[in-house]
Amino acid sequence: MTATLTFGPTATSPGRATLNALAARELRRFVLSPVFLLGVVLAEWTTWTGGGGTTTEIDEVNGYPAVFLGGFGMMAAYWLTRSMRASEPVVGVTPVTRAARTAALCWVAIVPLSCGVLTLFGMLHSYPVGDAVYGPFSPSARIAVLVAQIVLPALGGPLLGVALGRWVRFPGAAFVLFLVIFGWVELVTILAMWHVNSALVAVLRLFSPFAFFTLQSDFGGVTAWRGSPWFFIGWQLALCAIAILVALLRGAEGRTRSRIIRALGVAGVAAVILLVLAGLGGFTHTLTA
Amino acid sequence: MATASISLRDVGRTFGATRALAGVDLDLKPGVTGLLGPNGAGKTTLLRLLATALPPSQGQLSVLGLDPEVPAERTGIRRQLGYLPQEIGFPRGFTAFAFVDYIALLKEWTQPAARHAEVRRVLDLVGLSDLGTKRIRAMSGGQRRRVALAQALLGSPRVLILDEPTTGVDPEQRVTLRTVLAEIARTSIVVLSTHQTEDVAALCERVIVLDRGRVRYDGPVTELTGQAAGRVWLADEPDPAAKVSWRTGTGRYRNVGGRVRDGVEHVEPSLEDAYLLLRGGSPEPETTQEVAS
Repeated sequence: MTATLTFGPTATSPGRATLNALAARELRRFVLSPVFLLGVVLAEWTTWTGGGGTTTEIDEVNGYPAVFLGGFGMMAAYWLTRSMRASEPVVGVTPVTRAARTAALCWVAIVPLSCGVLTLFGMLHSYPVGDAVYGPFSPSARIAVLVAQIVLPALGGPLLGVALGRWVRFPGAAFVLFLVIFGWVELVTILAMWHVNSALVAVLRLFSPFAFFTLQSDFGGVTAWRGSPWFFIGWQLALCAIAILVALLRGAEGRTRSRIIRALGVAGVAAVILLVLAGLGGFTHTLTA
Repeated sequence: MATASISLRDVGRTFGATRALAGVDLDLKPGVTGLLGPNGAGKTTLLRLLATALPPSQGQLSVLGLDPEVPAERTGIRRQLGYLPQEIGFPRGFTAFAFVDYIALLKEWTQPAARHAEVRRVLDLVGLSDLGTKRIRAMSGGQRRRVALAQALLGSPRVLILDEPTTGVDPEQRVTLRTVLAEIARTSIVVLSTHQTEDVAALCERVIVLDRGRVRYDGPVTELTGQAAGRVWLADEPDPAAKVSWRTGTGRYRNVGGRVRDGVEHVEPSLEDAYLLLRGGSPEPETTQEVAS
């Protein structure tokens, strides 16, 4: 060791520059996560190789991007958030607050969001908006269904992963949550098949970060379930906001904490209203086309 | 730039019913201050308070004139702080360079070129310049300790808090580390906790002995060592009148404290002798005490 001691420059960078640099660093770490990479490959493969003519309704294929981008993205974001926990004694006494670190982690969701948009275009390429697989939905509502089933799960999954990583210690928590959400969607979908016109069941079906909107009819054609995909998008965005706020709440203190709690209250009320509107809006009963 | 200072007034810290630190009054100035004490004496708690990792339960703490209880001022302290905790884990897959670089980013080194130069500088200081690309999980315990130390040295902080920095570090590196710390201590406050009294004797001008959360001794190392003068002697057998005796490498027994007989072979006391004498000759670790109800 031949080092001579030279005093380093004083780091006086403003917070915004630090946040940007940190977000870029976390983003790079997230993109290199094997789980996320696998999710992207599978999502794009199932999307761009679709449209072979065997698909009878869009919900047969829409679940895959949600699982691969949203589900895998959630697990990757969870592990990314947890990765620095062991170093917390050091990380926790740096000038960058936990809230700023959480904000930087939340920015990684922009990558799966972009992948979601790309997948949306892939889906439109494979299943043009005029295709019969969308059932009786209007052209704009068809786009809304795709956004709700592909783009927003891709955004919300990683945000949920960050929130979970900030609050839960159990290493397999993200995987367990993934299974719970998957199981819940299956359960309420089956329930919706039994009570096709029930408003309550419609609300229950949409009480999830992901929901199906169509079903192959026994008599040919595609049946659209009741509920508004537009309000469902609003509900999903409210869930994204709640995930970010819950993540930021960890370690927040003083006025920041009060503000986050207030914002959580507003987002929670908005989420409930949007969920009810999603369940009661749109088609008021099943429709087959 | 004003002289760095840390002030503690009646500072205490409790964990539930356990009092880890009680009524500590200290003033710390640039230089190396050593913290000695048995396990559970409150050393780590004191260092965590100084590092803003933990708020005090009572009393006033001021670091560089700033109050760590006020979030904005706490951030101000952290901008000038280097902290090596007693235990630190490393994220999976990180190399030494990547980890220190990440911490540098959290210390607001946003310019990549300057940050990378600083990371290389601190890795060089701890003798890891050739191991920057090695994954930390593949490193030995001593090398990992040096990685942790490297991040604490980032930016030549005005306050450097080191909790057992030499644990697992080989003698050659310890000597180098002393040189590095002595250089930093010209302008910065360096507080280190250790069980290695030879490190304190070699490096620190001031030593604080903690016992059961209270300051038992605070003063120059030479003065503490001087308190043992004439109370350490060698004999062929353990002296029952001594407070502590142990067999040395030469086969003779080193006796410390107690009743000194006439005609014994006195030897120069070490800091360890003085520390044991101060502790009442008890080498057994003490534990933190319960808060009196």
